[in-house]
Amino acid sequence: MFLIVYVKTKKHTMKNFLILSIALITVLVFSCRPDTNGIVGEERSILSSLSGSWKLTKVTQTDEDAKRKGFPYQTMDLTSLFPYSEFQLTLNVASGAASNFTTTPGNSPKVISLTSGSWTVDDPAFPKNITLTSGNTTEVVTLGGYPVTGSEKLVLKKEKKDASGKVQVSYNYEFTKQ
Amino acid sequence: MHPVKCRFLIIMNLLNNKITETMKKLLILLAAILMGGFSFGQVTISPSSFTAEDEITVTVDVSNSEIGKTLIGASEAYLWIFSNPDIGGGKDGITNGTWGSSSDAAKVTSLGNNKWQFKFTATAMFGQSPGELKTFGFLLKSKDGSKQTADLKPYTFDPLVFVPTMLRIFPAKVDADDVITLNFERTYGVTVDEKRMTPVSATVTMFDDAGNQVGQSLTINATKVNESIWSAAMIPTRSFTASAGKKLAKFRYKFNGTVLGTTGAPQVVSSSETEVTFTSLK
Repeated sequence: MFLIVYVKTKKHTMKNFLILSIALITVLVFSCRPDTNGIVGEERSILSSLSGSWKLTKVTQTDEDAKRKGFPYQTMDLTSLFPYSEFQLTLNVASGAASNFTTTPGNSPKVISLTSGSWTVDDPAFPKNITLTSGNTTEVVTLGGYPVTGSEKLVLKKEKKDASGKVQVSYNYEFTKQ
Repeated sequence: MHPVKCRFLIIMNLLNNKITETMKKLLILLAAILMGGFSFGQVTISPSSFTAEDEITVTVDVSNSEIGKTLIGASEAYLWIFSNPDIGGGKDGITNGTWGSSSDAAKVTSLGNNKWQFKFTATAMFGQSPGELKTFGFLLKSKDGSKQTADLKPYTFDPLVFVPTMLRIFPAKVDADDVITLNFERTYGVTVDEKRMTPVSATVTMFDDAGNQVGQSLTINATKVNESIWSAAMIPTRSFTASAGKKLAKFRYKFNGTVLGTTGAPQVVSSSETEVTFTSLK
């Protein structure tokens, strides 16, 4: 008699557990749906936001190997060590596409070697790399930050690799729109 | 026999049995082309930056008489390797054997045309910890030691732990276009003057790839960073121009300052000097 009651009670518990599990799975599966909200307002053009004259306002240098190894002395602010603030970059956009650029180095250390030419981006919607071309010479800089609404800062990053392809030194150039 | 060397020889034997000599040469050539390498004259090390715990491949061209010396044209060569040359705390490689009779494990692989190649991992080769291993040097020789190359040294291991030193550059690896910050940390001074001096400037002497001094030595004002660190920044290519066909290869630097003499008057002193070789960065 005791055994029958025990088996019935156990069956009941198992049934409840099964129902609870199915309910939980159902909630988990059907509760996660992608947001249906579309882009609010006009789609932002990152290319257009890059357009204009930019003045170099901050330069930092990173020892990427020290960073990888967790050593002290990983990053250094170079802004006041050399006349970097004399460097200016102008990026022009024509008909919504990247067109030409000019650089005015002044007495600044070398930031971008090319003084004028054309520029392109790897992805017009979400550019990561800017390729500057003058004749047969090209120079690639990585975008470290977009000048999005409320921010008039453009951040370009240059990485220097050794012969084995390992990044050893990087420079972050922060520009402010003129 | 060193396990890495043994593995390499087994692979080479298998290659010998299964493919023709021409194909073997072609494969070695392809491997050499594909491998990124640190080139220092006639010695190429792959990967270009390495710690004492990394296995590295060293390729040596001994066709130059200054390097090859009496080993030019030899049909076989043996490695004679040593750690920390000229700085103390060094050991001979475990595969060296004796000078008059190199061990078989020290035999290096011929790539033809006076080129030789070998692989090793420093901690295993020297039986020393990464902290003890700073540099290595080597030469190639005949088994009986009657023929040999010049000493090829020093090649520097990347540290696995940060080792504070009196003289330090930032970043640790630079090329001639980089902003280089020279640092003097008084805490790690060795001499009494170095431990007491107040730096006011740094002196930089530049050398080209032929070992010739480039221009005059440059003196840069030092800036106090904190109570024990002073720094001075430079961009080599802004201050030095190598002559036609040459490039800036390395520089030496030291800090200059004052200490108070026994009479209380300041005396001019300088720190010891250290040398930095540029790394090719692109």
